[in-house]
Amino acid sequence: MLNAAIVFAFACIAAALLLNFWRLLRGPTTPDRILALDTMYINTIALLVLFGIHLDLTAFFEAALLIAMMGFVGTVALCKYLLRGDIIE
Amino acid sequence: MLDTLIALFLVIGGAFALIGSIGLARLPDLFMRLHGPTKATTLGVGGILIASVLHFSSRGDGLSLHELLVTLFLFITAPISAYLIARAMLHLRGDDKP
Amino acid sequence: MNLLLIILLPLLGALLPPLAIRYGRSASAWTAAAITLAALLFALGPLVAVFGGAPQEVHWTWLPQAGLDIHLRLDGLAALFVLLILGIGLLVILYARYYLAERDPMGRFYGLLLLFMGAMLGVALSNHLLQLLVFWELTSLSSFLLISYWHHRSDARRGARMALAITGAGGLAMLAGFMLLGHIVGSYQISVILNAGDLIRAHPLYAPMLLLVLLGAFTKSAQFPFHFWLPHAMAAPTPVSAYLHSATMVKAGVFLLARLYPALSGTELWFFLVGGVGLATLLFAAYNALFQHDLKGLLAYSTISHLGLITLLFGIGTPLAAVAGVFHIINHATFKASLFMAAGIIDHETGTRDMRLINGMWKYMPHTATLAMVAAAAMAGVPLLNGFLSKEMFFAETLHLSALGAFSWVLPAAATLAGIFAVAYSARFIHDVFFNGEPIDLPKFPPHEPPRHMKVPVEILVALCLLVGILPAITVAPLLAVAAGAVLNGPLPDYSLAIWHGFNTPFIMSLVALAGGIALYTQRHKLFALHDRVFPGVDARALFWEFITWLMDTAHAMTRALENGSLQRYAALLLLTAVAAIAWPFLNSTAPIAGPVPAAPIDALTLLGALVMMAAAVVTTVWQRQRLTAVIALSVVGLVVSLTFVRWSAPDLALTQLSVEVVTIVLLLLALYFLPQRATVDSSNLRRGQDLLLATGVGGGVGLITWAMLTRPYTTIANYFVENSLPGGGGANVVNVILVDFRGFDTLGEITVLAIAAIGIFALLDNLRLEMPATDDGGRPWSSERYPLVLSQLTRFLLPLALLVSVYLFLRGHNAPGGGFIAGLVTAVALILQYMASGIDWTQQRWRLQYHPIIAAGVLIAAATGAGSWLYDRPFLTSAFGHFHLPLAGEFELATAMLFDLGVYLTVVGVVMLILANLGKLTQRSAGEGGT
Repeated sequence: MLNAAIVFAFACIAAALLLNFWRLLRGPTTPDRILALDTMYINTIALLVLFGIHLDLTAFFEAALLIAMMGFVGTVALCKYLLRGDIIE
Repeated sequence: MLDTLIALFLVIGGAFALIGSIGLARLPDLFMRLHGPTKATTLGVGGILIASVLHFSSRGDGLSLHELLVTLFLFITAPISAYLIARAMLHLRGDDKP
Repeated sequence: MNLLLIILLPLLGALLPPLAIRYGRSASAWTAAAITLAALLFALGPLVAVFGGAPQEVHWTWLPQAGLDIHLRLDGLAALFVLLILGIGLLVILYARYYLAERDPMGRFYGLLLLFMGAMLGVALSNHLLQLLVFWELTSLSSFLLISYWHHRSDARRGARMALAITGAGGLAMLAGFMLLGHIVGSYQISVILNAGDLIRAHPLYAPMLLLVLLGAFTKSAQFPFHFWLPHAMAAPTPVSAYLHSATMVKAGVFLLARLYPALSGTELWFFLVGGVGLATLLFAAYNALFQHDLKGLLAYSTISHLGLITLLFGIGTPLAAVAGVFHIINHATFKASLFMAAGIIDHETGTRDMRLINGMWKYMPHTATLAMVAAAAMAGVPLLNGFLSKEMFFAETLHLSALGAFSWVLPAAATLAGIFAVAYSARFIHDVFFNGEPIDLPKFPPHEPPRHMKVPVEILVALCLLVGILPAITVAPLLAVAAGAVLNGPLPDYSLAIWHGFNTPFIMSLVALAGGIALYTQRHKLFALHDRVFPGVDARALFWEFITWLMDTAHAMTRALENGSLQRYAALLLLTAVAAIAWPFLNSTAPIAGPVPAAPIDALTLLGALVMMAAAVVTTVWQRQRLTAVIALSVVGLVVSLTFVRWSAPDLALTQLSVEVVTIVLLLLALYFLPQRATVDSSNLRRGQDLLLATGVGGGVGLITWAMLTRPYTTIANYFVENSLPGGGGANVVNVILVDFRGFDTLGEITVLAIAAIGIFALLDNLRLEMPATDDGGRPWSSERYPLVLSQLTRFLLPLALLVSVYLFLRGHNAPGGGFIAGLVTAVALILQYMASGIDWTQQRWRLQYHPIIAAGVLIAAATGAGSWLYDRPFLTSAFGHFHLPLAGEFELATAMLFDLGVYLTVVGVVMLILANLGKLTQRSAGEGGT
């Protein structure tokens, strides 16, 4: 049953990632793309955690943690760039 | 029993993540699209993280708390990201009046 | 140890005279003299041993694997040169104290002189070819600085450059020759090479090797046709000429001939090359010396001629000729150094060196004149002076040569002819300068005797000329015996150092030379006229400069043709070359591209990732003109690449990639701000088509190579690391153990480069202020809120969290994914986040850290950790860890690796912050002034 759930979750996350990417390609505005990228980062976290459960390995947590952090910093930088141009002022 | 619980959280998490992304893809404008990822997807990831906590804690190595750190990060950052993206959109539309 | 001190004293002591000059000129001179005396003192013990028949040898291992060790050897030949270098050096130091004018920077002079002295001693004492070459080049460099000592004069600068170009080129050739020689013998140690003469001469590479080595020797000793730099080096102060251009540096070439004589001589090639060049130089320079109007020019050509004589003697190849060569090295050094000093005195007192103006000096400076005349007579080979003795030996040797068969008369005839010219130019030196009527329009008038002490060195040298000339057997004989013995590397031939050998052919040749020379001198006016008519202004210098100009023009033309400043063009050329390099083996090989290893099965998720990555990469390229959108697409590529690393079990790589990714995005955004938001299409469609083709070629090529590589079975060194990581490095995380232990030295180098790069970037950005765009590309004014409240307040909670993550990654890095590099990036990103959310000022008020010291501390900690292993008598960095984790010390071992990692961590934090913060600061001041 657990395996079936993992497969289902994998399928959901994969589909979600594809949809995010589609939005990223479509736009139409830059904030749309930033949002899509941010969502991809979050879904990737889910993917990594799933991967960890699937393989019964804890080695992916650091990566998940960093994605959570780096994705956020990237989003902040991009938004700040749109708002102010100068991201470090 | 625990396996069932984990499976349940996985299914819920996966479903919410997908729903959030469908929202992102389908809703008509950015301000609506923002709701999908920020709420549903965050919740979805939260579900999967809970499943992970349960899974790794059940292996007898003690309570697995790495996931909580990720969750904490997500829950702090998600509103900020959403806020900033919305601000950026407002700015682009010319409505940026704080 | 003493041998090393002999070299090190002048080399290191070179720093002292420039410091001592603040206590006066005499203090500076005394310092230099004291250093030289000290070196002489240290040399005394070994010298005595050498004269007792025991060559001294020491060596220290340095890089034994590369055959690079420090080998020093003091044998007879080296002893001779050590005595010449230090003895004449001491006299020159005394002389220069009075020669240099008040306005000349004396400290610099003595510093350079000592530097040269140390280098020359190194040449003499080296027992290792490559080590000798290093010192050899050092003599070229220090001589360059000495010749250009009066660097406000263009002739000094040009002369110095020419000397450096010629001797430097020769040095390069010699390096190649030495490599060949080392290859032939299998050792660079000179004492080994000297005993391998038969092997060397029989080797097929003998001819090219000899040619290259001789090029070095000939350029240094100003042999024809490379002679022309020496007359132009006369722009140097006269003490330099007396020291470098008569006694020491130009002797380095003949020293090398003498040094390698047992190994290289004894073939026909040696005879014709060395003998031929020597003979040509002897005649050509002796002839030219007569026509110089410049006092030092005459001496310079005479020096070239005498060097040719010595070369010729070594070229003749008989043991007796070699003895004569060594003897002449001694004699020439004494009389020529004293002549240069006398010329310097005359120049000093009259203000000119033109022999057409300087006449009748006998009346004004009889003492100097007497000294100069004795020395000049020695140069001419007048009996009872040292020059006569070695010249007699030379004449005798030319007679005993049978190699030329029916042309055996050529050599004695040429020798006599050169002797005639030598007498003639010596006569000119004496008669023109000291007699021949009254001086004409001297810049300084009336000339008078120089300061008393300025003449002391000349007196000593002239006394030596006389002593050796009259009593050779009890003065020079022991020195000559050990030196010649070392040159021959075998038994000495029978020779007698007597003044009178009877009324034989050499004596007749001497008489002919004397009479002919004087006769020639009396007819000089006709001769000068003839010379001017036949060789009007033939000047090797002009040819040299023409060649240099041509070389520079060609280089510029090639540079212009290849490097027109277009980056696209460079990239295209580079990639085209790469494509050609990839295509060539593929086209020439019939083997299938795919190897026998089957491809791994693909799962849906991996396929999806690959497709997304490809699509994102394509989109990045397509959108490249909308910069921000392209950056977003690029982020997707980075994300999927990180996932790929995770998928193939490389979590460390994934972590690094993720951190680097976001730092890159921040960097790109900082730079994009100053660039146009949209780029226009500048290239033609044809050009873009070409570029597309090229890009496809490169991408396809790399893809094919990867495919070919991955489908073939291969063995890697990975297994070694995996197996030894825990037992050898004390960590379970192989990647981290490689970084901080197995390849710790690489990492140390890398963080050093990183630090240098960051400081370079800082230097470029410091004080740079760029124009900021006032609106975004849509024409909207920027948002008025610099630090959105939600952002700045909430991110403050994240800083401790992020720092916690970074500490966590750092601490467990040795055993699990993480480590100093990643932790450093995470810390830097956490700080950057605060910069973005709350501003530079806010952050720096609370985080008072300068990034330069952090970088320095990082590199220093890493280096000190490495150096710490020396305390345990282990090699730098690597084995130290092996030592630490010997019994009981498992914990300790971990600690050193972690300390090293701490250095990496600090460097990375400092570097990233220094670069990003300074890029951010580009706008800081002007933003503040704008008041928005």
